[in-house]
Amino acid sequence: MSRSSVSAMDWEAQFKADTSTSIRSGKNGKSRTGALALDSDNEDQDITMASASESNSARARPVSVAPELYIQEDESPLSQLTKHWMNERHAPDILPAQEELLASLLDHIRRQSDAVQLLRGEPSASEEEHIRIMLVQMEVERVKFIVRSYVRTRLFKIEKFARFIMTDATIQTRITTAERAHASRHAHLTDRHFHNSVLQSLPETQSHLDDTPIFMPPMITKPDESRPVFVHALRDCPPIRFHEDLTLEMKHGHISLMPFSFIEQLLLRGYVELI
Amino acid sequence: MSTDTRQFGDLATQLVMESRRSSQTDALLKYNDSLVRSLLREQRDLERAAEALEAGMNEFQGPPPALLIIQTAISRNKRCLLAYHSHRIDRLRDLYWAVGGALPHILNNQDTRSKLSPHEVDYLRQYNSSVMEFRSEFSHELDITASITNAPKDLHVLVHVVRDCGVIQTELGSIDFQKGQRFMVRRADIEHLIVQGYLEEVS
Repeated sequence: MSRSSVSAMDWEAQFKADTSTSIRSGKNGKSRTGALALDSDNEDQDITMASASESNSARARPVSVAPELYIQEDESPLSQLTKHWMNERHAPDILPAQEELLASLLDHIRRQSDAVQLLRGEPSASEEEHIRIMLVQMEVERVKFIVRSYVRTRLFKIEKFARFIMTDATIQTRITTAERAHASRHAHLTDRHFHNSVLQSLPETQSHLDDTPIFMPPMITKPDESRPVFVHALRDCPPIRFHEDLTLEMKHGHISLMPFSFIEQLLLRGYVELI
Repeated sequence: MSTDTRQFGDLATQLVMESRRSSQTDALLKYNDSLVRSLLREQRDLERAAEALEAGMNEFQGPPPALLIIQTAISRNKRCLLAYHSHRIDRLRDLYWAVGGALPHILNNQDTRSKLSPHEVDYLRQYNSSVMEFRSEFSHELDITASITNAPKDLHVLVHVVRDCGVIQTELGSIDFQKGQRFMVRRADIEHLIVQGYLEEVS
């Protein structure tokens, strides 16, 4: 940072302003990291990104991944989202939407992109500054990837359970307005397609979608709460009671495999994460 | 009724087998209109048979066993019909996302188009508009229909043009992509072209 031209000062000021308005408090104090707001926690992020792109291998060796996966109390919005993203991908049910978190990250992405646009047009930027701009851009792209994957994972589940969502009030509290609107459109769309392709050509007595003949699985797909998931305890958990005399007390760092329904509450309270 | 030896549910089994074959070969098969139609016809025949039995039902004896069998066949056929259509629209949605939500790309492809029923084309159009509406929530920051198979590792990518795709606006200005050429471009600008098969990544 030896340069003292006006443009470089502007740049620093721009980025400092950018970071200080973001919710990532606590890390602003460091001298260099101000410019690379999204980049400053590169280390733990790289680990999660690596395990995400090879999610199979990550799943195959959960024990060896465990130490890195432990996330500090003062985690950044990005690592929070990464955790929610992994939870969402592994949970059979739709987890509560993280609207505030997502909005703040999207906001941050937008501000970073704007800042980058502004600075790229700056003719007097040095080589070193260009590299830093590139790093920020790269980081923005990678964050976008996680956001996209997170949103799409939810969208996939929402389409799958669209008809259930429309009949169930509790699940509706866990999704955003836009997601709910999509679910409603999707349920309607699927019904109409069934009606046009099949039901309208059947005799009147058979032309309803929601009859429930005996010995047949129901027509509405529900989340399978009993699906087993790998659970990683982020702190010491209260005992989990499977039935009368079988309980499990998960200590911090413990990894276990069990049906989703047993750890749903712990997951919502942030005691555990899915891996 | 094509052959005399056919049993209840034979047609439905054939239909479900098609879905299974489609899953196993990971391909979209042609919409089997004739089979669906003959199943619908069978349903009407069965309904008539059931009505005839119901009409002759004696109050004191309870339903005749034949009626139970016919009703089971009716529910099974109906379920198979719905399963077949549901499986197909699942595949169509996969196809839609695989090309990054480029609906014209699917509908203009003669090979794919010929495999769809008219209702399925309608379905895709409406699904597309629903997704577009959802996408507009994020339009200021990112495009949620872009690829999510691999995390980006580089800002730029070296691509090989497989099919002409005309002039594309990129951040370096507009580039005319012609078959056989190679370009170093920003990934975010042309990712959708890779997904749609116009460009190929050179590794």
